[in-house]
Amino acid sequence: MSSPAIDVQDLVKVFRRRGTSPTRAVDGLSFTVTGGSIFGLLGPNGAGKTTTLRVLTTLTRPTSGHVRVAGYDVVASPLEVRRQIAVVIQEHAADLLLSVRDNLVSFGRFHGLSGADLRATTGRVMEQFNLAEHADRKVQDLSGGFRRRVQVAKVLMVRTPIVFLDEFSTGMDPILKRMIMAALRDESRAGRTIVLTTQALTEAEELCDDILIMNHGRQVARGDVHALKLLCGGVYDVALTFETLPPGIESAAAALRPIRMRIMGSTLQLALKDDERHVLEVVNQLASHGHVSHVEVSGASLEDVFVELTAGDKLATGGKRLD
Amino acid sequence: MQGLWAVVYREARIRATNVLFIFWDVVYPLGYLLVFGVGLNYTVQLSSAAGATDYNAFFLAGVLGMASFGIASNTAWSFFMDRDNGIYFEMLTYPISRSQYLLGKVLFNVLVALVQAGVTVWLADVLLDVPVHWSRMPLTAAMVIVGTAGWFFLYAIFAVLIRRNDAFNTVTSVLYFVLLFASSMFYPLEPLPAAFRAVALANPITWQVDILRYATVGLGDRALVPLELVGFGVFTLLAFAGAVAALRTDT
Repeated sequence: MSSPAIDVQDLVKVFRRRGTSPTRAVDGLSFTVTGGSIFGLLGPNGAGKTTTLRVLTTLTRPTSGHVRVAGYDVVASPLEVRRQIAVVIQEHAADLLLSVRDNLVSFGRFHGLSGADLRATTGRVMEQFNLAEHADRKVQDLSGGFRRRVQVAKVLMVRTPIVFLDEFSTGMDPILKRMIMAALRDESRAGRTIVLTTQALTEAEELCDDILIMNHGRQVARGDVHALKLLCGGVYDVALTFETLPPGIESAAAALRPIRMRIMGSTLQLALKDDERHVLEVVNQLASHGHVSHVEVSGASLEDVFVELTAGDKLATGGKRLD
Repeated sequence: MQGLWAVVYREARIRATNVLFIFWDVVYPLGYLLVFGVGLNYTVQLSSAAGATDYNAFFLAGVLGMASFGIASNTAWSFFMDRDNGIYFEMLTYPISRSQYLLGKVLFNVLVALVQAGVTVWLADVLLDVPVHWSRMPLTAAMVIVGTAGWFFLYAIFAVLIRRNDAFNTVTSVLYFVLLFASSMFYPLEPLPAAFRAVALANPITWQVDILRYATVGLGDRALVPLELVGFGVFTLLAFAGAVAALRTDT
């Protein structure tokens, strides 16, 4: 059996700052990532995702535990690890004074590209990301979305076996996001391992082969999307679109104590944890408040799973694992 | 080496976006010598202890030391520009060692410092009749290289650990004030009070300027130069180790 692309065992990261008590940002996390898969690290703000990613990318040393990336230990062989990875960090990162082309060329040089190979790769990536017409513009003159595009384009300049993306879609329009998600799938099919963190759960749902949900620095659940949804058995998403939103519908819906509720225009969206028969009764009951033009009832989304597992302190020691 | 040259290439491309700034870097020490140096040359009687009757000749090494100090602090300030652009952390994930990152950042600027020193020394000779010892230019060049790198490594420690632009500016102001004025950069140390001299003799700027003074115009204590060379070399190595350690601390 081949070794995993990433192997994390009992990872602990404690931040100590003068005058404050130590913070255990990551608290005994263990997981492995199979080569060629798209792995999602999900969790609410402060869950420890970015700290975990910073350890994996050699930006931060672990307090204890063992972490191997592409077979190399992040503490003993950080430079070897960095030769195996390409990283999109959470914040916008580009040389603003340089042109789009120079940003890509400079990145390629760091990874050993040169000459005709570098020029050809730069041209191909600029075409792929619709950056060719902006090739000679300084990045500081581009919008935030374009700057992010340059940043993500860089990881496709090189053939490192592992790619890390921390909240890669921030500031991107939906069309670009779709294009990049398709590109990431292609990279994965070609054998690259993609590790991403995201707050956009629909992205994770569409992209990830394997998801780890963490909270308070620990694993809360692990598995593929379908397996994770089983953790939320009995949760249903209900959407009722009225011709006009009836008065009092919000309080009527709130009285049902939904897991979450949202009103968008004339549509009421609820997530309910109940048995199927009762959910249908609830739909009937809410529909009786006005003229309904559309009804949708579906099983739990990844967002439901996420909220269910991370809201409050529902932390099961060792987390839940469904493979 | 590939990583090192990639950093040099990046620094060069960034600096090349502002040619006027490079031009200013190259000529400002000469301006300092022509305005401040000539001004003092006409108004202040140089102590005989300085071994020179001409302040321009005495001040030439001070100007070269000041220039490499300035380039070093500007280069360290680029860490803040990298941080503002978000690229600082991304670069730390590139396939380069922390040492290569530091060396690459300073190498292009060392080249600028060498050109700057060459222009200044040449025009000091041509315009101000400073009696330059051209045969010792290799020593001058070596001291410009090591000096610029040493001060950059020292500044890099603060730039990496402090993280706040305004706090770093305070540090550079203090270092400028203390290190430049408590040294042999502007005046000979011999006539000064003993305490002042003691502080100045322990100051690496004094070592650097003394070596440059010996190399450019032949002034100074020949027996002291090897000691000061070793001292500045040790200072540079310690600063380099400190800067690498700072980059390796939790970011």
